[in-house]
Amino acid sequence: MGAITIKVVTRSGKPLTDVQIGPEATVGELKKKIHASKSKYYPARQRLTLPPKAGTKSGEVLKDSATLASQGLKDGSVIYFKDLGIQIGYSTVFFFEYFGPMVIYPAFFFFPQIFYPWATAVPEKTLVQKVACAYWAGHYAKRIGETFLVHVFGHDTMPVFNLFKNCSYYYGFAAYVAYFANHPDYTSPPEKQSLVLFAVATLFQLANLRCHIILKNLRKPGEKGYKIPSGFLFNYITCANYYAEIMGWVCFSLATRTLTGALFTIAGAYQMAIWAQGKHRRLQKLFDGKDGRPKYPKRWIMIPLLF
Amino acid sequence: MGAASRAYLVAYNAAQAAGWGVCLYQIAGALAAGGGPAEAYRAGAPSAAWMQCIAALEILHAATGLVPSNALNTFMQWLGRSNALYRIAQAIPELHANPAAALMLACWSLGEVVRYPWYAATAAGACPRWLTWLRYTAFIPIYPAGVAAEMVLMWRALPFIRRRGIFSVAMPNAANFAFDYATFITVVLAAYPYLWWGLYSTLLRQRRKKLGPAEPAGAGKRD
Repeated sequence: MGAITIKVVTRSGKPLTDVQIGPEATVGELKKKIHASKSKYYPARQRLTLPPKAGTKSGEVLKDSATLASQGLKDGSVIYFKDLGIQIGYSTVFFFEYFGPMVIYPAFFFFPQIFYPWATAVPEKTLVQKVACAYWAGHYAKRIGETFLVHVFGHDTMPVFNLFKNCSYYYGFAAYVAYFANHPDYTSPPEKQSLVLFAVATLFQLANLRCHIILKNLRKPGEKGYKIPSGFLFNYITCANYYAEIMGWVCFSLATRTLTGALFTIAGAYQMAIWAQGKHRRLQKLFDGKDGRPKYPKRWIMIPLLF
Repeated sequence: MGAASRAYLVAYNAAQAAGWGVCLYQIAGALAAGGGPAEAYRAGAPSAAWMQCIAALEILHAATGLVPSNALNTFMQWLGRSNALYRIAQAIPELHANPAAALMLACWSLGEVVRYPWYAATAAGACPRWLTWLRYTAFIPIYPAGVAAEMVLMWRALPFIRRRGIFSVAMPNAANFAFDYATFITVVLAAYPYLWWGLYSTLLRQRRKKLGPAEPAGAGKRD
């Protein structure tokens, strides 16, 4: 069959470009052709949707792997285009948002003369403070390692604004926690108690790593759909990885006895709860037990006995 | 929305409107009796303190989905006004003589006696066009005046906060936490114009939507 013409318009109806393309071509190939005619809009920046059905605000998003024919697109069909803005790779964002805390906290530890210039006498750091610094830096080193060696991302890019937003959050809290944990007037909790708590926190970190590996192995290379996670803590908790992460921070806050540590833990838990709820609902909706699909088992969303 | 929820919202918003109406009335009364800014502020402060306390309920309304607002935003706005009222104006009596204190209360109550009736009428499903117009127009002068008054008060409060160390925590302590209220208020002051511009421009945008050209025939009742 011959090539068909696809009319690409913006959501306000303004024509962007017309593309000649084979009907069996994929949406991904369509994006490449749009990019060829509008060099500003590389494929990662494009969101293409079908025209909205009567009564709905926006149409279905077109996935890159689908063929035009499978989406009901023929000669003269209209597709809506949205510019997602400058995109940045997931790995890039993760690296920068984790690298910051990894160096900021130790900076407060090693250079009190910079961050507490008014302090005339800076006492030697307590054992708890030393372990806390190592734990914190180690945690973020782990996260960077996972970014490049473990995680498989569902999307390739995100808007560049997220980089600034995420880095503000991570760098801000890193400084806020580090400032008090390394303060000249820091009061150390009992050593033995804290060391036990750091050990428990490390166990939770290892649990978190195991959860990440389980999640990574859910998808075979190339697969992009959702699967039901299972094994280890996932049998009881949908977002077991978040659970382990939060518990690690709870232990850190108790081990260091810093209110700022607690605030950081609460902020992270709040955001993770929102994500967890979304993921849990999505999985329940997808795996409804009908048409041969498995039914999503009864599980806690993120925190056993609570949520 | 169920009939009970609707009735509750009508009652709640009507009560807030009445409370802030009392505040405005008492400020006007104090001025009419020949009082100065301090008398005007002190006349309005008790009712303002009550209504602001009760307004914490709105965070619950948003969190439970009773109203479509974002719970975190509602909480932040409630926190902001509560701070200005309880922890700046009420905490430092020397500020009462500053006209900004009475102006702040006046702006709040003028805004609320328009906003809350609009909420009540909308919840009741019987909101007249003029009330919608008022709700989306009165804020235009009132917001900036109120924000300016709040900022003047915070600025004037700083020397007192520093001297008295109020609401501040020093190290060492068991929670390894310190909080310098003066620094906090300075940061808030710097952020204030940015925060309030966000709210102001959102309202302006909503104004264009709600007070825009009339809907085509057959579109049904507005709001």
